[in-house]
Amino acid sequence: MATMLFKGFAARSLTTRLTSSCYYGMRYSSTVSNDPDSHDDFKPANKLENSGTSLSNIVEQDVKDNPIMVYMKGVPDFPQCGFSALAVRVLKQYDVPISTRNILEDPELKNAVKAFSHWPTFPQIFIKGEFIGGSDIILNMHQTGELKEKLKDDVSKQ
Amino acid sequence: MGVTKEQVESSLNSKLNPSHIEVLDTSGGCGASFVVEIVSEQFEGKRLLERHRMVNAALEEEMKEIHALSVKKAVTPEQWKKLQESNQSNPAA
Repeated sequence: MATMLFKGFAARSLTTRLTSSCYYGMRYSSTVSNDPDSHDDFKPANKLENSGTSLSNIVEQDVKDNPIMVYMKGVPDFPQCGFSALAVRVLKQYDVPISTRNILEDPELKNAVKAFSHWPTFPQIFIKGEFIGGSDIILNMHQTGELKEKLKDDVSKQ
Repeated sequence: MGVTKEQVESSLNSKLNPSHIEVLDTSGGCGASFVVEIVSEQFEGKRLLERHRMVNAALEEEMKEIHALSVKKAVTPEQWKKLQESNQSNPAA
């Protein structure tokens, strides 16, 4: 049950991290785009299109800036796919900041991530810039203790 | 219609030459979601990520229609044998 308590904490610190560390509008915290009633015309404009920064650069920057970067379906507190939920649940067992992007809200970002990692499905987890894999792999690494080692390493090097 | 369990099996069989394979259709019939357990010598010396990549590559065509693919196990025959043995000695696990 300590996990439950921790979950609340983690979610809060995560939001702070996300909004402060990401320079491209965090769709995650936007309530507008989640509103099923909002017409396409009124959704937040895609800042990426105007920024002149290519999407693959965004992904590259993401994984460089965030020790743990997860591209997922939904958001950590409301994953919209069982596999994404599993990945977040596993990572939340560790006392580490998790940064995420919701690929459901941005098909172009979704394709850019897939092209970047050459991996067909989501979630996709990057630790310290290294592509780790999807939910099966993160669960396996959690079970074997490999993830613990990797994250311990990660924290001490920060 | 989506992909069938048989299609997934046959692609994996032809590309990875597995000594054991189990494919479960978890989509409830629409053929968009599968769980795979596969034992192949080709996994020898490969990290888990590489093994999963091999499975993904073998199913490249099918992946266009599959929404969820869970590779529960991607192990070598040797690892598989050990797994079987530990399961037998500890049936509760």
